[in-house]
Amino acid sequence: MQPQLIRDLQALLAPGAVLYSAEDLMLYEYDGSVDLGSPRCVVFPSSAHDVSGIVKLANRYETPIVGRGAGTGLSGGAIARSGGIVIVFSRMNRILEIDEANLRAVVQPGVVNLDLSRAVEHLGLFFAPDPSSQKACTIGGNVSENSGGPHTLAYGVTTNHVTGIELVLTDGEIVRIGGKNIETAGYDLDGFLVGSEGTLALVTEITVRLMRKPEAVKTLLAVYDTLDDTTESVVDITVRAITPAACEMLDGFTLRAVEDYVHAGFPKDCAAVLLIEVEGLKEAVEAQAAEITEVCREHRAREVRAARTDQERNLLWRGRKEAFGAMGRISPMYYVQDGVIPRTRLPETLRRIEEISKKYDLLIGNIFHAGDGNLHPLILFDERDAAQFARVVAAGGEIMRHCVDVGGALTGEHGIGMEKNELMPLIFTSDDLALMERVRSAFNPASLLNPGKVLPMGKACGEIRVPQSPAATAMAT
Amino acid sequence: MSQHTQALFTRLEEIVGGPYVVTEGAEISAREVCGMLPAVVVRPANAAQIAEIVQFAATEKLAVIPTGGCSKLGIGSPPSRFDIALDLSRLNQVLAYDPKDLTLGVEPGVRIEDLLRTLGEQRQFLPLGVPFSDRATIGGIVAANSSSPLRHAYGAVRDFCLGMEFVTGEGAQAKSGGRVVKNVTGYDLHKLLIGSLGTLAVITRINFRTFPMPQAQKTFIASFSSAEAALDFCRSVAHSVLTPQLVEVADPSAGQLIFSGEAFARISPGLWSVIITAAGQPSVVDRYAHELGHMAAAASAAEFVPVEEDAHFALFERIQEFPRLALEAAPQAAIFRLSALPNAMPSLISKLTAIAKQSHADVATLARASGILYAVFVAESSESLESLAAAIPEVFRACSQPEMQASAMLEWCPKELKTAPEVVWGPVRPDFELMNRVKKSFDPQNVLAPGRFAGGI
Repeated sequence: MQPQLIRDLQALLAPGAVLYSAEDLMLYEYDGSVDLGSPRCVVFPSSAHDVSGIVKLANRYETPIVGRGAGTGLSGGAIARSGGIVIVFSRMNRILEIDEANLRAVVQPGVVNLDLSRAVEHLGLFFAPDPSSQKACTIGGNVSENSGGPHTLAYGVTTNHVTGIELVLTDGEIVRIGGKNIETAGYDLDGFLVGSEGTLALVTEITVRLMRKPEAVKTLLAVYDTLDDTTESVVDITVRAITPAACEMLDGFTLRAVEDYVHAGFPKDCAAVLLIEVEGLKEAVEAQAAEITEVCREHRAREVRAARTDQERNLLWRGRKEAFGAMGRISPMYYVQDGVIPRTRLPETLRRIEEISKKYDLLIGNIFHAGDGNLHPLILFDERDAAQFARVVAAGGEIMRHCVDVGGALTGEHGIGMEKNELMPLIFTSDDLALMERVRSAFNPASLLNPGKVLPMGKACGEIRVPQSPAATAMAT
Repeated sequence: MSQHTQALFTRLEEIVGGPYVVTEGAEISAREVCGMLPAVVVRPANAAQIAEIVQFAATEKLAVIPTGGCSKLGIGSPPSRFDIALDLSRLNQVLAYDPKDLTLGVEPGVRIEDLLRTLGEQRQFLPLGVPFSDRATIGGIVAANSSSPLRHAYGAVRDFCLGMEFVTGEGAQAKSGGRVVKNVTGYDLHKLLIGSLGTLAVITRINFRTFPMPQAQKTFIASFSSAEAALDFCRSVAHSVLTPQLVEVADPSAGQLIFSGEAFARISPGLWSVIITAAGQPSVVDRYAHELGHMAAAASAAEFVPVEEDAHFALFERIQEFPRLALEAAPQAAIFRLSALPNAMPSLISKLTAIAKQSHADVATLARASGILYAVFVAESSESLESLAAAIPEVFRACSQPEMQASAMLEWCPKELKTAPEVVWGPVRPDFELMNRVKKSFDPQNVLAPGRFAGGI
């Protein structure tokens, strides 16, 4: 313990911007994942200049730094795995500019995702990435994790919507990359840095694209009696080249929990539903909705209905977006996965998850972005039952391996973080990882920035030693 | 080449086989990069051979430049060294194409024409309407980040490339990304390779998402007597609920290049043209015809005409080939690729016109709704390069003005003008040091295309 660090931070920052007492720090020990880590202190900078000063102090004291938005992340990205300073961006939460003519907004990293869409709503615009946590999560966090959301099926993920960033590098230097233009001559550093999970630099300002709201939106709910019919419908929608704006699947188990909580009008006796949204010109929406309805009927959907009012539509989406919360009502904890598979492999993958659920005697809910093959199996458990948690971890590992086996990926939008970094060798060779490690060292040479994330720990020469995540260790074996 | 020894050629022959090492003739001269010729052209069969060649080059301190269809070797600043041209034409397989999943994995040497034909058989496509389409390869298109008019609707390579495999400057085979449409597993190293002109790694496989072809398409041309009127019309389209597939604004000179040929005889010369393509269900296309007609009338268009069915694709090809058409008409042209915001476009275009006038040159511009602007400068007296030499720094200066906020790169110009990297790339970017760190991570010994990139990387 070096109280001098705390005193230096206090001298640098505004009053009340440094927390260090044990009870204050507890709030920052966890995020939306199942991992934990205690920081030595938590700081709230008000400017890039503050962030730069913090980074310089961290260098002097050789203390790790972890950036944090709202702490809604699902892979431990914002957890101080090796202690150190957690930099919370909640005071840097201003929308600096809304440039309607050029469809851009310039924001500080602590701006809440949904607040930006609300701020431009009167102009008929919105910010496209819409993670389920969008009421709380910050755009800085979205940039770190390259977050997605249901509507990324049509609009793309965060990286497709960022044109410029201001960074604080590990030596405290403030650098701007890109701007409002769609390209600048040189390497696409924006594209590379978005999604680097806070391991390369700290983001202090972001320029994002704004989208114009479509003329018409139609939300369909297709209800099925078997999982196979549901997944086959998704495959067929893709095959027939219909591109909905969103195509979400909720299985019956999840639905029942959601319906009891949200009362959205989901049928409680079905095997699964698809929540499909089409957007665009009225003519396009009508034509696509008709095609989708036809596909669903061909696959024995027992009902396909459209939301008749905005209120009905919002309720259906509330059901989807608050599903994770609804699970909290029936289980003390859940472990959410984020594997991605080629969309054609959806039916066999859902069957495999069912088998795994039986094999390990666990309840697994499925609620996910079916349209782009991004699964979110929720494995329910009680953390007081250590034996059960071991089974959860093993089941999660099996699901993950299945995704890899069918040509998929470990994570579609939640990030690698400290949850899956030891699983990286399932996808990447030692040469792949060595190059990633080298690029990381080029930006973050002393590994002060978010140590123990993204890359397997064994790979990092000279990295500060940190405890292994129990989940990751068990899964890798 | 540091040592033109027979031993060196022998080593390359050992790696790829005798017939695939060429040391003289047309194969060599076709791979000229800004006046420099390679000592040898090597045609590897696979990534493993490429890795061996690059390792060998690193040991011998030789410089390697990957090549495909050789259509864009003129882009970039002159390399500081050039020993081995790595011809990737044998890596020309579609490795995985799953039309049902709308994903694709290809080798870099696949020609875009062939690839689009393969996808077309499944009524799918990649939104890459790029110049030199008769010989451009997918690897070259990605390495040069070629501009496509379809970016407006479908994004650029950075938006639909899912992952890559490549060989680094140390000869290590590596990859990033994957084959699924949504993925945040590991660092997106492949994003750095897009537009890197072969300076970071040799691309050996690229994975894409593919797109379903729209049911119907129709192109319209609205013409205007001034740039302001044409751009105002574009703005009203951008502010409407319409989301066209492409919107291009050609000044009268650019229009002349694009519209030459019988199919487009109806277009009046001397006007600014806005070319718009609508795509979707037939009912959607009808709606565009109706609404665009109204908007054009409200914007006082001189003309508003739909393009005949049989001329639609021919016109698209002329637009995508614009830089090539300009180079064919004036081989000594200087062609800027600029990126600007919609609001800055009118003043940028008028500034470019003023620069041209001052420097005794003509300028032709083609603006894309995505924010890309091509500006072709041709000297009034074609023998003299002085007027272009005068205009080039002025363009970079204009872009750096705060009210312009534009970005520029001189994509094509006579090699005699390329006296320094800044001539091509403009003033060194504030994040140059970061780019340099990236380069050193991928290619610590500066084996790959040294000097060809921004800041002399």
